[in-house]
Amino acid sequence: MSSKYIIKSPWLFRINTGSCNGCDVELATTAMIPRYDAERLGCKYTSSPKHADIVLVTGPVTARSEPYLIRLLDEIPEPRVIIAVGICPISGGVFRDCYPINGPLDKFVDVDVNVAGCPVRPQSIIDGIAAAIGIWKERIEQFQEA
Amino acid sequence: MLNASDIFSFLVFPGGLFAIFFGLILLSFERIAVARFQGRVGPPIFQNFFDIVKLRSKEVLFPSGANSKVFFGLAPVFGFVGMIVAISILPIGGVCIGTTASSDLIVLIYLMALPAVSHIMGGSASGSTYAAISVSREVVLVFAYEITFIIILFTVAIHAGGGEGAVFSLRAIVDYQLAHGSFITDLVMLPAFLAFVIFMLATLEIPPFHIAENDADVMKGYLIEYSGMPLALFELTHALKLLVIVTVLQVFFMPGLADVGWLLNLIWYIVKSAGIVFVIALIHASMPSFRIDQALKFLMTVPIALSLLSLFLVLFV
Repeated sequence: MSSKYIIKSPWLFRINTGSCNGCDVELATTAMIPRYDAERLGCKYTSSPKHADIVLVTGPVTARSEPYLIRLLDEIPEPRVIIAVGICPISGGVFRDCYPINGPLDKFVDVDVNVAGCPVRPQSIIDGIAAAIGIWKERIEQFQEA
Repeated sequence: MLNASDIFSFLVFPGGLFAIFFGLILLSFERIAVARFQGRVGPPIFQNFFDIVKLRSKEVLFPSGANSKVFFGLAPVFGFVGMIVAISILPIGGVCIGTTASSDLIVLIYLMALPAVSHIMGGSASGSTYAAISVSREVVLVFAYEITFIIILFTVAIHAGGGEGAVFSLRAIVDYQLAHGSFITDLVMLPAFLAFVIFMLATLEIPPFHIAENDADVMKGYLIEYSGMPLALFELTHALKLLVIVTVLQVFFMPGLADVGWLLNLIWYIVKSAGIVFVIALIHASMPSFRIDQALKFLMTVPIALSLLSLFLVLFV
């Protein structure tokens, strides 16, 4: 029942796993600029993984960033939703089969929403967040029953 | 000693339910005002209620590297209890009289320091490096701004005595102002008012003083290891702290209107609180951050000089 109110407060957390920063620039600006104000959905960027509800992962998971990614994902409390932002975490993109790439992301964790693009458009990021909120609602209900 | 009106003022009005509701509304109002100053629409007015409901339903994690799990779990409770007691002893001019104790101003000094103590306790118990940096900054800030607060408090107490010694009762301070006019209209108290505004920004950690819990360099500082219910308690403490500071400002400088009913005074209290939060939001939206050494230098000179000037004028003019 309370999930109706809970989904109005999704806190976002960004993880950069060796991204070129293109998607990160889109993420950083999308939430805060007047045109695409994501705070209307109740979104807020948190800087600690322990406050996060929706996780936005960018980058193709380089060998160096892999242990940090796994540690950060462990620190995020349930119920949570994971979004792969950009083509890199989805399939590797142009870096696919490169020697320093351990990706794609779904080797390490179950990805809930894929937001494709190189870099992604702000509209599709907000669309992805909206889809993630729907999945998050089901997950909250399961978590409350358990 | 306890009677029904004390319990009512602790649980319903002005403490307890009313304080939590109004404090969270003020916090959301501040977020909306900041968004509007930046040209955005901002969150809905009940956003902070949703945040609290959300955090209550989340998993609670305890860090394995915590120095002391007992203090880590207890820390949020200290600040929350301190603030909820503080709001229940504060008088609202013309609406409620607070406590009948004669020296509650002294109690206020200790209660106002409790949220900072809980931040320091929780941060240092969590065993995180970011929290350690943030705690060291918080300690520096607390030492700098508490001096200002104590000087302002004595200035107000002496001025409310009307030349016959200091008055350490919040109710007597409010009564004096209702009879003789608010202190904000008194030129002698103007420097103290400005110093109090700076103290207010520093203790609420509004930019330019959000050094201890800055997102960009210390990752929320002392809150970094908290999740779920303890984090919700910290959010509630922050909301209550905003309400307590705003109410203390009104008790000291603009308590209310004499000779009108309690309803008008209550509406006037709500409007004044919203106005003060609006000014806080304007400063929040337009200021960058200090470095910790700049903040220390600023807090040790400007507000202390202003409040000492006021004290001097009250004592000798």
